[in-house]
Amino acid sequence: MAKTDDDDARAGAPRAATGGGDKPQRKGGNGLTRRDFVRTGAAAGLGAGALLGPDQADAQGTSTGLDDTTWDYEVDVVIAGAGCAGLTAAIRARDLGASVLVVDSNFDAGGRMLLSGAHVSLGGGDPVQGRDMTGESDREGFITVDPVEAPEELDDSVELLFADLNDWSVLDTKAQSAYRYNERDVARSWAENCPATRQFLIDNYVRFARVSGGHHGGGLSRARGARCFLLLGDRTDIKAGTITAEDAGVADPERTSPFAPVQMNDLSRSVGSPAVSNGVALARPLDFSAREKGVEFMFHRHFDELVREQPFSGRVLGIRAHYSPRHHPETGELLQSYWQNGNVEEQRETVSIRARRAVILASGGHAGNPEVRGMFYPALREPAFPTSGYAFQGPHGQDASALIAGLRIGANLAGMQQNLSYPTTFHIATRLGTRDAYTTMMPGHPTFGFRQSAGVNVGNVGFEEFIAVNQVGKRFFNEVRLPLKPTRSSYSYPGDRGTPNEGLEHTPHDWRNCRQDWVREMYNYDHGLDAALAVNEGSTAPHYYSGPLWAIFDQEAIERTGWELRAPYVADNGYSFKADTITELAERIAAGHEFQRVPLAHLVDTVATWNSYAAAGADPDFERETDAPMHPIATPPFYALSIMVVWHDSYGGLRVNGRQQIVDMQGQVIPGLYAGGEAAGGINKHGLGKGHVQGYIAGTNAAVEPTA
Amino acid sequence: VKGLRIVGVLGATFLIATAAVAQPVVDSVVFEQGQELYQNHCALCHQDAGTGNPPTFPSLSGNDHLEDPAQIVRTIRQGAGTMPPFPDLSTAEISAVATYIRNAWANSFGAITTAEATAALDVDGFEAEGDSASVWDGVFTETQAERGRAAYPGACALCHGRRLNGAPDDPDMAATPSLARARFLRTWDGKSLATLFEYTRATMPQDNPGSLTDEEYVDVIAYMLSVGGMPAGEVDLQPDPEDLARVVIEPQP
Repeated sequence: MAKTDDDDARAGAPRAATGGGDKPQRKGGNGLTRRDFVRTGAAAGLGAGALLGPDQADAQGTSTGLDDTTWDYEVDVVIAGAGCAGLTAAIRARDLGASVLVVDSNFDAGGRMLLSGAHVSLGGGDPVQGRDMTGESDREGFITVDPVEAPEELDDSVELLFADLNDWSVLDTKAQSAYRYNERDVARSWAENCPATRQFLIDNYVRFARVSGGHHGGGLSRARGARCFLLLGDRTDIKAGTITAEDAGVADPERTSPFAPVQMNDLSRSVGSPAVSNGVALARPLDFSAREKGVEFMFHRHFDELVREQPFSGRVLGIRAHYSPRHHPETGELLQSYWQNGNVEEQRETVSIRARRAVILASGGHAGNPEVRGMFYPALREPAFPTSGYAFQGPHGQDASALIAGLRIGANLAGMQQNLSYPTTFHIATRLGTRDAYTTMMPGHPTFGFRQSAGVNVGNVGFEEFIAVNQVGKRFFNEVRLPLKPTRSSYSYPGDRGTPNEGLEHTPHDWRNCRQDWVREMYNYDHGLDAALAVNEGSTAPHYYSGPLWAIFDQEAIERTGWELRAPYVADNGYSFKADTITELAERIAAGHEFQRVPLAHLVDTVATWNSYAAAGADPDFERETDAPMHPIATPPFYALSIMVVWHDSYGGLRVNGRQQIVDMQGQVIPGLYAGGEAAGGINKHGLGKGHVQGYIAGTNAAVEPTA
Repeated sequence: VKGLRIVGVLGATFLIATAAVAQPVVDSVVFEQGQELYQNHCALCHQDAGTGNPPTFPSLSGNDHLEDPAQIVRTIRQGAGTMPPFPDLSTAEISAVATYIRNAWANSFGAITTAEATAALDVDGFEAEGDSASVWDGVFTETQAERGRAAYPGACALCHGRRLNGAPDDPDMAATPSLARARFLRTWDGKSLATLFEYTRATMPQDNPGSLTDEEYVDVIAYMLSVGGMPAGEVDLQPDPEDLARVVIEPQP
């Protein structure tokens, strides 16, 4: 990094990587320049004419106007967010010669990609499909097992993938047609770039196991999904493709590591030798490669706003971002990223970063912003319920930063209604006793202290062992049906299980896929979530929050199930309680939980009534006897574990075109501004596949924007 | 896309008339007894509507092989290919379920009497009704359960969860059937380990069915039983359908 001043005092010495990992060695320079107090107009070489727009007068005195901006840093491409879209865009733009700075509100790279299952659904005839069609191994020869899918299931094309992404006949299990709403230009571009993105990921140290099925919205005519893996070995070495058992979190069932916040899964059977998989095998290779290629990172830095020539016209010139330090929950020390090569240390409250070529918004969705998500389901303004990955991502995770900043300069929205679909948008989690109920994380990662308890994943089957009560201590639904997602099987997105047939048997755009009889057959939404979020006696104006939810059970339930109510699964953190009487249990919950606003006034009566129902073998309120045995709650001690509603995905976001350029409400491209991943709307593709490909497209185009 | 077709076939069931039409020659009491036996022992694979899940589980509705009474009776008693044997069904029960299958759905092949069934089985190589054991009788060993525990993470845990409770570690994945304890016992109550073994071998892991060795499948079953609190014994569970067919899954006596 070429610095133009000598203000190195805040730059910390790079920390040695732990876990035996080789840190990435930077190849060549970047070109980021630090430019304290340099006036933009002169620095950018803009003539006065370029600054004169029809709305120039509006710029005076506004925070987004040009005139009052001084730039602290200048770089070709600025990227907000170091997740799957941001890291991919960063590497791609850097490969094409741009200098790149990534800002992220968290202390480490990866975003939710690092917490993911690393099941990347691409296709269109991508290199992994081609490899598996011939039965070849990967280029390093790690894979020694035969392909899972038959060659004809892998015989894909861009045309077929695009057709799938516009397949109006595919309904989800709530009978909504998601692909119908996909922006066609965005879907076409996504399909066209899938093969190149797969090769790009492979070229940046990502190893894919055999293709197996699809994943969440990637179309259902062919098999397109593959999981990423690393081999277990004596050292963690991204170049060699190995990871130690300790770093992978598989050495001890109750430990994770700073390298892998979530314990990795055994993928040996799909590789042929000892291998592990999850988002770590995707995020860390990209993190490593980005640093090796000279991408620079500024962590603890929250992207706040865009600087445009005029508030609603002209080119986007850069961003402003504020210091958002995350400190270790126990030691209070500033948290540090796993690798630090390429980190820019900066602790000023606000900095302005000039983007010579373009800004790419990849800072995620809005699932962590209750006010924004309330647009889709007002009851989910309830702040008791967080988004997924809360502990790792911190308070700014998925906080709609891209959406908010984009709207402030006139950007349009797309696909917002697509939130109202699919099991992972919002649902009841089966992991009890922790606020961070979507994500597995054990002690060993520095952010474990933010959750304190790993939670007990009781599964759907666990819900027959207790009664579920609301904030006033009343039952509200048949517990057995409460956690059921609108799905009958392990996946239920369009493109996975929403149609009568799949793979070669599926005919896209065939009316029989969505005939009325089939929709009736498929519909199985139980509405337990809606009952959980209903107004109750404890709800008060103006928000009428429904409050927290509790699983209430006794000692015999533990003996029936073997649940381990001990550290690290539960903690004295306000999400699990134990008492000798129900009265005392209710008092402890009311006193000890951060979102319990009223007493559980009905809990004693509710338990007594339940016990009478259990004795009679009939539950006149919710007909529980039809689904499972009913056990009395009578043997002390008594327990309460939190039940969480989690809003995971964001569908819908800033309107983009096929180049991932953001488009305004007049249909005009906002020059110099791109978005990808959950920051962008208009294509209903869950997770990684969307983020990587859109990041790849955005990085490709941003790098060759003319310098402003 | 392998392993994803079961739902598709289930989904197609609504297209097929499900009303069972007994032929006049069929005794309705026998037909209903056969229907109950079918629900308990056969519907897991062949489905309520007899549609099966071809090619793994053949359709029984409109299946011309049902025309031969001897073949159907012998297949039920002795098993064939993926089909497990049912040694604990009496000859009368076999004739009842065969009568149901031959006359339900689109079928009208007529009844099979107990005498016909007895005659069909009265040839060399067909054993008589056998004794059965329970999964609570110590039918596996501790070392076998340990081997199953080692095989479980790679083969099963991704979908069925580390606690065997159907809660996957990958939070994007929804619930799957429980493989141990109360819910498992309710689902499998009255079925034999041979049915569990053949069903598992034919359908699991969902993305690559049959990719474990037979020994690994029984080892994993031993692990499932041990997690459910069933006691270990002195002899390994063997991957032999005839032996497995004599062990019944049931709640703790």
